Amino acid sequence: MAGPGRETDIVISAHKLRKVYRTGFWMRPVVGLDGLDLAVHRGEVFGLIGPNGAGKTTTIKILTGLQSATSGSATVMGRPYDDPRSRQQLGFLPERPYFYEHLSGRELLDFYGRLFDMDAGLRRRRIQELLERVDLARFADVPIHKYSKGMVQRVGLCQAILHEPDLVILDEPMSGLDPLGRALVRDIILEERARGATVCFSSHVLSDVESMSDRVAILVRGSLRGVGTVRELIGDRVVSVELRYSGAVDPGGVELRSDGSTRTVRLEAAEADRAVNTVVQGGGRVVELLPQRETLESVLLDEVERARPIDAERLGVL
Amino acid sequence: MGALSRLWALAANTFREAVRDRVLYSILFFAVGVLCLSLAVQEITIGDHEKVVRSVAQAAIDGFGSLIAMFLGVSLVYKEIERKTVYTVLSKPIPRWMFVLGKYAGLVLTLTVEIAILLVLYTGLMTAQQHFPPPVVFVSMLTLLAQLMLLTAWATLFSTFSTPTTAAAFTLAIFVIGHLADDIWLFGSQAQSVTVQQVARILYWLLPNFSLFSLRPEAVHELPIPWDRVAGVLAYGAAYTTAVLSLAVAVFQRRDLR
Repeated sequence: MAGPGRETDIVISAHKLRKVYRTGFWMRPVVGLDGLDLAVHRGEVFGLIGPNGAGKTTTIKILTGLQSATSGSATVMGRPYDDPRSRQQLGFLPERPYFYEHLSGRELLDFYGRLFDMDAGLRRRRIQELLERVDLARFADVPIHKYSKGMVQRVGLCQAILHEPDLVILDEPMSGLDPLGRALVRDIILEERARGATVCFSSHVLSDVESMSDRVAILVRGSLRGVGTVRELIGDRVVSVELRYSGAVDPGGVELRSDGSTRTVRLEAAEADRAVNTVVQGGGRVVELLPQRETLESVLLDEVERARPIDAERLGVL
Repeated sequence: MGALSRLWALAANTFREAVRDRVLYSILFFAVGVLCLSLAVQEITIGDHEKVVRSVAQAAIDGFGSLIAMFLGVSLVYKEIERKTVYTVLSKPIPRWMFVLGKYAGLVLTLTVEIAILLVLYTGLMTAQQHFPPPVVFVSMLTLLAQLMLLTAWATLFSTFSTPTTAAAFTLAIFVIGHLADDIWLFGSQAQSVTVQQVARILYWLLPNFSLFSLRPEAVHELPIPWDRVAGVLAYGAAYTTAVLSLAVAVFQRRDLR
């Protein structure tokens, strides 16, 4: 397989993608996406993170042909996003999916299989295989309106990977799921990657994004604020330390816990040496010194904070 | 073949959704009731009993067919957007024109089956009374279907951009005006003002003329089949329906699905 970054290896590409919604009686413009540049490489698991209203769902809806961009361009599997042929090798699970409630799980998947022009034999085989994979085989002939939220999500996952697509886009696939459901989604994402598919998903569950994604994009206020591997985004920098000590001394910092014999405080990384010396010289004992590195969450929060002046400027322009 | 099988999948799903809707059965139940009632009416009628039965039956099939076309048509596309089921369909290799046409074809299939059921029942009732319906009755059902296809196209157009309530009001207006098209022409031709005459003419040519589709007098009085008129009306229906559906596709093509 060719290395990431080569043109032929890019399955999703967005260039200066901009989306302006018109809302309300006066059709007030609201910027959903503000010049987004993005490239997703073949075979990777790509996580999209950002606060509510960051533009994750807007990006996904444009890429899946549900919305049109106000300006800019995007390609999916090498074709313009608004060309229906770009979706032949695309599987998509929307956020909080809704399905035809008059159909059973099996009928629903059969319908979607037909939309992909899968032949009858392949449809039957894949449907049975997937229903068993997500533990829905027993409920295959039960109407969807009797399914629980988790079951709907599971059948939704099945329809997204039914035709073994090269690209799978999942919008908040873990939303509202119990731990078992989330584990299933995680497993399926990793199985899809192992099969060779590219998976692009958005999520608010940053621990999942961190553990599964090869690369992550941070979206804030409609624009890309960072993209790279988790390590690249977070870096190795130690931002603070947690010092656990005993003895009647005060090394400073913010107290986190106290269990009677020991106290734990958080300090700036630069204060660590001084704090340790203070404890030792005061007759106390250092029990533990833990470096605290940045997390995806802290990086995201920093980006949100940094975007505030830009946001104000953007609203001023409007 | 790929496009056709996808179109068929969309149509079959729409048909399946309609036939699993209890409201459809309620309307059908009433239609069957009225058909059966037409037999009772002949008992209390003086004159040609068969004409009465044919007249009531024709009116019932026409009326209930229009009701189903409007009832299902006005929410055809809107419901998909409102329930967000459209997201998982249009994110597949389905062009928007195919989605609109597939939904429309499914509804036309539902109407065809509904008319066929009522026609079979009507034929059965008449045959039981030793009066097999004349051929013109069957031809009149064909023109009725063309009329319902046009009405459904209008309902589909309205459902691409408005709520079912608003779409129902628009479709009902088209239905009423469409049955008054000849009156609009007459009103225009008798008006003194040139402006009123021109407005009436423009309205007459723009809006559908549903009365053209009706072969009820021929069916009731067992007149010969007016083949020329039937051909003309079917061509008119096909052209007009294509135009309205094209407009529906154009509107839906531009619609953002939030």
